[in-house]
Amino acid sequence: MIELQEVTKTFPGSGTPAVKGVSLQVKSGEICALVGPSGCGKTTILRMINRLVEPSSGSLFIDDQDIMKVNPDHLRRGIGYVIQQIGLLPHRTVEENVALVPRLLKWPEGRIKERVEELLEKVGLDTDEVRKKYPYQLSGGQMQRIGVARALAVDPPVMLMDEPFGAVDPIVRLRLQDEFLKLQQSFKKTICFVTHDMNEAMKMGDKIAIMNGGFLVQHGTPREILAQPANSFVEDLVGEDRGVKLLDLVRVEALMLPREAGTANGRSVQALDSAKKALEVMLEHNVDGVTVCREKQVVGILTWETIKTYVHQAGSEAGG
Amino acid sequence: MDSQLFLDTLLQRSPPHILEHARLVLVPLGLAVLVAFPIGVILTRPQYRRYAGRVMAVLNAGQTVPPLAVIAVFLPFLGLGFRPAVIALTIYALLPIARNTIAGISSVSEDVKEAARGMGMTPWEVFTQVELLLGLPVIMVGIKTSAVLTVGTAVLAALVGGRGMGAVIFAGINFFRPELILAGTLIIGLMAILLERLLTLAEWFILPRHLR
Repeated sequence: MIELQEVTKTFPGSGTPAVKGVSLQVKSGEICALVGPSGCGKTTILRMINRLVEPSSGSLFIDDQDIMKVNPDHLRRGIGYVIQQIGLLPHRTVEENVALVPRLLKWPEGRIKERVEELLEKVGLDTDEVRKKYPYQLSGGQMQRIGVARALAVDPPVMLMDEPFGAVDPIVRLRLQDEFLKLQQSFKKTICFVTHDMNEAMKMGDKIAIMNGGFLVQHGTPREILAQPANSFVEDLVGEDRGVKLLDLVRVEALMLPREAGTANGRSVQALDSAKKALEVMLEHNVDGVTVCREKQVVGILTWETIKTYVHQAGSEAGG
Repeated sequence: MDSQLFLDTLLQRSPPHILEHARLVLVPLGLAVLVAFPIGVILTRPQYRRYAGRVMAVLNAGQTVPPLAVIAVFLPFLGLGFRPAVIALTIYALLPIARNTIAGISSVSEDVKEAARGMGMTPWEVFTQVELLLGLPVIMVGIKTSAVLTVGTAVLAALVGGRGMGAVIFAGINFFRPELILAGTLIIGLMAILLERLLTLAEWFILPRHLR
């Protein structure tokens, strides 16, 4: 668990604090997406958690341990850290980069070697192909994966990620996001994830913390934030298409009307797809409903009417 | 042009002076590295970075003074011989090394340093394993520049009794024997090239593999 209590940071020579009295809790196994415009203090918060920046006031805890009482280098070795620029050491091979923290912790070489192989495989890289390569020989996507592998090296319970998928093209980014979420299902790390992209925050975050001008504006699940934006700033940030975004957060199986097994007729979607996907299929093919399948088995139908009602209800929860 | 005299100078008269000259180059170069490299390193540390401009201004000014003048300035204190020559040559070799040490270490990307810190490397580990290794090519350029510079400038040591290849060349100037000047210059040129090559070779062994 990561906990911030009334944390404020004023950089020397700056009149206004970069972070103002932020209190925030990230529960174990949860991804908290810190989102906001540039200069809102989100990266500063992240860097205070591993003490690359020291808070001016307030306290920070990781698993109830006051981090100001821990040696900062030791603290950082126990926290996975991924940044947008990745920061792979250009003079070290992939293997050596991933082995960085285990070496600092003086793991035996045999164990390091095993761990590196395991990690490269986990992040979806061909171990034999990349291990001896230098960072400049890799594609952007490969570098990001290695950045993640390096951060996971000693299996830290807490990870800090600063726009970790920001430096790759949108298609690769979507894939990396999906892969990371899949990893997270088994790893259950406690993660602070900084992004300026609300869609990424919605996708990655179990909770979203919205920052503006150094203040924490709203903290809640993606659904809470879409349904009940705290103020006009949050409304603007989530955009006009709140209803559609809500559909992205709900699976088809949660909205469908169950139906006896049968064969699919017309257009179909998978039960685990998002409701937004179903809506796209309806719009694209100009139909009022789709068949819902699990693998090849028909399990229900989802109609235009159901989707409309759902979006309307969610909107009225906001009282608007 | 007396080719016999030229060959005699090249093969018989010069060799003893070559070793003296090498000493006149290697001692100041070694001292300059010992002084300028730490200065350069200190001036890249965050708490001293703001002095870098001023210190470099002093070193730059030092470089604009002709080497002969530097030798002359030290003459009253240190007298004649090897020592004043070494000190003048050392001062003269400081600037390229200090400047390139600063440039080399500063050229290491902030992202890489940030990531290294974020992984839990101590400041010392970041310095030795990241900044120094990645800055090394640029630092070595500074050392090589100073080395080649010193091979040439060390000729002036002969004027204060410091001997070296300058003895051959100034003899040629004094007695109007271009053969001596030519042979001496040729040897100095070869020494400069050889030293540069040797330093490049040394660099190759220290450098991280991908930078070679």
